[in-house]
Amino acid sequence: MTTKPNRSLPASFAVHGALLAASLVMLYPLLWMFASSFKPEEEIFTSASIWPTALNFDAYVRGWRGLDVSFGVFFWNSMVISVLSVIGNVISCSLAAFAFARLQFRGKNFWFALMLGTMMLPYHVTLIPQYVLFLNLDWVNTNLPLIVPKFLAADAFFIFLLVQFFRGIPRELDEAAMMDGCSPWRIYYKIILPLSLPALATASVFTFIWTWDDFFAPLIYLNDMGSYTVQLGLRNFVDSTGRSDWSGLFAMSSVALVPILVFFVLFQRLLIEGVATTGMKR
Amino acid sequence: MTTLASPSVAVGGARWVRSLRRNLPGYLFLLPWLLGFLGLTLVPALGSLYLSFTEFDLLRDPRWVGAANYVRIATDDPKFVASLYVTFVYVALSVPLKLALALAVAMLLNKGIAGLPLYRAVFYLPSLLGASVAIAVLWRQLFAGNGLVNQVVFLLFGVQGPSWISDPDYTLYTLVVLSVWQFGSPMIIFLAGLRQIPQDIYEAAQIDGASKVRQFFRITLPMLTPVIFFNAVVKTIDAFKAFTPAYIISEGTGGPIDSTLFYTLYLYQEAFAYFRMGYASALAWILLVIIAFFTAFSFLSSRYWVHYDD
Repeated sequence: MTTKPNRSLPASFAVHGALLAASLVMLYPLLWMFASSFKPEEEIFTSASIWPTALNFDAYVRGWRGLDVSFGVFFWNSMVISVLSVIGNVISCSLAAFAFARLQFRGKNFWFALMLGTMMLPYHVTLIPQYVLFLNLDWVNTNLPLIVPKFLAADAFFIFLLVQFFRGIPRELDEAAMMDGCSPWRIYYKIILPLSLPALATASVFTFIWTWDDFFAPLIYLNDMGSYTVQLGLRNFVDSTGRSDWSGLFAMSSVALVPILVFFVLFQRLLIEGVATTGMKR
Repeated sequence: MTTLASPSVAVGGARWVRSLRRNLPGYLFLLPWLLGFLGLTLVPALGSLYLSFTEFDLLRDPRWVGAANYVRIATDDPKFVASLYVTFVYVALSVPLKLALALAVAMLLNKGIAGLPLYRAVFYLPSLLGASVAIAVLWRQLFAGNGLVNQVVFLLFGVQGPSWISDPDYTLYTLVVLSVWQFGSPMIIFLAGLRQIPQDIYEAAQIDGASKVRQFFRITLPMLTPVIFFNAVVKTIDAFKAFTPAYIISEGTGGPIDSTLFYTLYLYQEAFAYFRMGYASALAWILLVIIAFFTAFSFLSSRYWVHYDD
């Protein structure tokens, strides 16, 4: 639909009105949750207002202290897993993407097709044998089942994303470097990686957010409260004390969203462009 | 590290050395992925196919039972039928609604309005947060009997709304609403697609006197079909795999009376609550077949309704 410079004022008013109303509906639940974390218990379910009558941080203190284990422990676990996942994903996916995008070797197309095929495969199909494998390795209740796969480029989606980006970098650069006797390894980390920072950053931010948000894998592999991630801690909080401590629940829910919100504010452009150009899932 | 194959390097080497020189770097770079592919994808996938023909509780060795799991799924498992029904309803409602809303908002945003980046960010935010437990928890509280939704309903209409999350007639729809609320990422893709449509087509249509509605159905929609197709396939596959909101809202039970028993939730229960790993493997393979069928169907049907320029 066209951009018309001389659109009538009422029309543009109507568009903005509709968009503002929609924005409010989108954000209201989040604001309400945040506001409720400051409200006294009885006010939460009697007032739809997003303005608490008083600022009360008790819920944060109470919630953070948690059940038997503090939310600080869950936060630390989530942070370790997410950061290591980012490192693992960036290293292993960029290595594979470099091979697919820039190197010639026998069987390349075959492996590339298989790699694309794994993107289609629902993880449920590999779930149980993987669980058996990690159980036999004695990795259940450790972070390893959540981290090690990232170092083995298990998120084929990011390989694909990086392949697309690497292919856009002019070939002449590698050819010139090759003439000068550069090894593929040097081409990879002296030329391709530095030129791919936007793509690597997009992959990193999405890896972090998705890992931080992941509920299913931690649910399966982490049974001991000391090893819980934020998502599991929150689930536990709902199931045991949630019913009596609404504001504590909302406080910890708000806190669980903080890292994502921080990334969103810092890298909004990057995230939105990532979605627009590559069709990221979420 | 070896250098890329070049004549000067290869001179004098035996053929296999040359071949190794030529192919080794590629395989070295691919090594982490190859290990992951074999160890975490290929072998486990074959393993789960095998397990689907066994009875396996983790404690004892798998016991071969032939097609018994599949037979039971097909003939004697009301929970399978219930979970399939819930999942199909969820997919059939949430995907079209989400895409329609995404397209509508994308078109509003594409009118060259001021404040576009801000609106875009606001609409995208729920999509980004959507997968987290916090949002599922929030949703549960919003739709509780005395939650925000019913407070608003009461303020506006003066009627007491139902208890959305504990009345089996409504639970699934609260999950659909949650999914539709997260229309941001398809919206951004639609927005990018709308940008690709050349403006002169609209101008020509306008000169010919085509109405806005006609322009939408004759220009916008056909030109967008590749993007619609992409969004529909991705969101459908995602919807089949939905898990976290249903798990949180029903506290892992899929209740009340199986109204939120998503397919993946049932699979999870079979595997990790009842330790029927063989049966769960069979369920996983059926999910694969369903998703593959839908994807294949989409691609085959796309020939008739997706228009590519070149």
